[in-house]
Amino acid sequence: MNNSIQKRLLITTTCVLALFLTITGWVLDRAFSASVVAGAEEQLRLVIYSLMGSVQEQDGHLIFSQGVAEPRLTQPDSGLYAQVADELGERLWTSPSAVTTNVAFAAIDTQPGIFIFSDVAGLTPRFHLSYTVIWEDVDTEQVVFSAATDQLPFRAAIRQFRRSLGIGLGAATALFIFAQLLALHWGLLPLRTMAEEVKELESGERESLSKSYPKELEGLAENLDRFIVHEQRSRKRYRNALDDLAHSLKTPLAVVRNTLLDQTPDKSLLAEQLDRMETTVTHQLSKATASGPVMVGKTVSMSGLVGRLLRALQTAYLDRGISLETQLDEHVVARGDERDFMEMLGNLLENAFKYSHSSVRVCVARSASNPQRCVITIEDDGEGIPEAMREQVLHRGQRLDEIESGQGIGLAVVAELVALYNGGLEIGDSELGGARLILTLPWGSAR
Amino acid sequence: MRALIVEDEVALLEQLAQHLKSEGFAVDCAQDGEEGLYYGREYNYDAAVIDLGLPKIDGIELIKRLRKEDRAFPILVLTARGHWQDKVQGLEAGADDYLVKPFQMEELIARLNALIRRSAGYASPVLSQGELQLDTAKKEVRVSGAAVELTAYEYKVLEYLMLNPNRVVSKTELTDHLYDQDFDRDSNVIEVFVGRLRKKIRPVELIRTVRGQGYRFVTESTI
Repeated sequence: MNNSIQKRLLITTTCVLALFLTITGWVLDRAFSASVVAGAEEQLRLVIYSLMGSVQEQDGHLIFSQGVAEPRLTQPDSGLYAQVADELGERLWTSPSAVTTNVAFAAIDTQPGIFIFSDVAGLTPRFHLSYTVIWEDVDTEQVVFSAATDQLPFRAAIRQFRRSLGIGLGAATALFIFAQLLALHWGLLPLRTMAEEVKELESGERESLSKSYPKELEGLAENLDRFIVHEQRSRKRYRNALDDLAHSLKTPLAVVRNTLLDQTPDKSLLAEQLDRMETTVTHQLSKATASGPVMVGKTVSMSGLVGRLLRALQTAYLDRGISLETQLDEHVVARGDERDFMEMLGNLLENAFKYSHSSVRVCVARSASNPQRCVITIEDDGEGIPEAMREQVLHRGQRLDEIESGQGIGLAVVAELVALYNGGLEIGDSELGGARLILTLPWGSAR
Repeated sequence: MRALIVEDEVALLEQLAQHLKSEGFAVDCAQDGEEGLYYGREYNYDAAVIDLGLPKIDGIELIKRLRKEDRAFPILVLTARGHWQDKVQGLEAGADDYLVKPFQMEELIARLNALIRRSAGYASPVLSQGELQLDTAKKEVRVSGAAVELTAYEYKVLEYLMLNPNRVVSKTELTDHLYDQDFDRDSNVIEVFVGRLRKKIRPVELIRTVRGQGYRFVTESTI
């Protein structure tokens, strides 16, 4: 398999071109040769006509009264020869040009009124034409007029034509290949530009691809751009999370280490610091490992995902005897990473199961106000979420170690993922008595 | 109660085993999936704690294989990553509950007890049969509201019988589920425990002797 597009195109077009030119050359050559032979035949026919015109009958004999019209017939070895013979092959007249040249005229055909043309090979190849007539009142019944011409000048003309044809076609081929190279270079230029721009992106010399790509590459460039932006964001998020993780782990670690130096370490302080570290790890890791929205990613069925999570949670919370009410629209899809959606929905649904008294209600639907969004509503009959925590969770940039562990940390993780997907998270009160969380996510087919 | 722990981190495995033993469990430990599968096949447990990230056979696969071989004991999975993907896969494979590391030992014991109770058909941590009440959380036994003093082994026998009601429990089975393997298996000890237990919980008479086979705890409804 050849790996260069340019090479592939060049090989293909060159092969097609070579075939095309060969056929063209062959056809032209055949046509020209045929026309040359036809010309020779025509010339010989004129000679025969002129011979017939110059023959007269006298007392039962044929007499060549006038001088022969064609001057080449009178020059010896001129290349044009003629002969008049009777039906037995007896020569009645021979052109002066044939006196010193041995011309083997074709065998006599007794069918009168028909021109017989033949190509006679030999030391000197010639074209022959003969014509038989019935001449009344003459001692011979039939008279055969024959003419012959050397093929040499005709062959020379054909050779000359072939040379010109070869030069012409060769020039055309060269021109075509040159044009093809130019076209390829010009046509593939955007790809080369793209490769260079990607290289620049890698080295950090540029932020995104330029916008001036031809129509065919627009889609690719756009997707590549999105992918790169997404990748950059992930990398940044990853780095930030690791920085935050390192930063917020070091303080409690220092506290723990120093506490252990005490004669009687304060256990409650140790436990507090361990809690803090646990919260940090949970939060930062979930933040760092989130994939985020990939526009070229696949669509995820929300009802399928919610159904799976609900079945799992019902197993885990079996002894709580929670009554579950669901309204899942099968056609609701979101585009993105399934694991991210699973994290968001898993945390929200688990909270509902954990904090409800006896009933949970889940609804998956397409937004009535904005068809480009899916809405997942999760309600329970628990104590609800305190105002202070709602503020804390939804306020972006909240220091994570300021959020209490438990319900808050899970919600904070969800809130961050939701923000990553340009979704929405609303915390309110349910008519069931507990919390109502409304999660909105971009619709799956939206691009 | 006999529990199986499958965990590859030796430090955590030891802590878990120690805690479960101190809570009255007989414990078998396995450090990888293959060993876990062996124990799970060979012995009948009351519950198992299985870590998801295991060498040789991973946790999910181990649970699937155990369930495929009709091992019905409740399984609690431990996951370090805490991703929902892991939790859901674990539960879908046949686990009954999950716990994300790091966890409090009390939480694990409570979950495990709840699972055992649940699989025996009790909804509340207080197992109740007529006048007899056994509080699995406080490890207290009451008859008609009055507290009954039981030794640790008497309590274990009663708890096991109450969690396996209306079924003949042989002395061997009782020994298997109450003692660690290296414990002296003398069936007379069991007879003594049961005899004392019967006296202590009078007038409740729900522990029946099935001659030559063992004991049966009968529920009020079946009397």
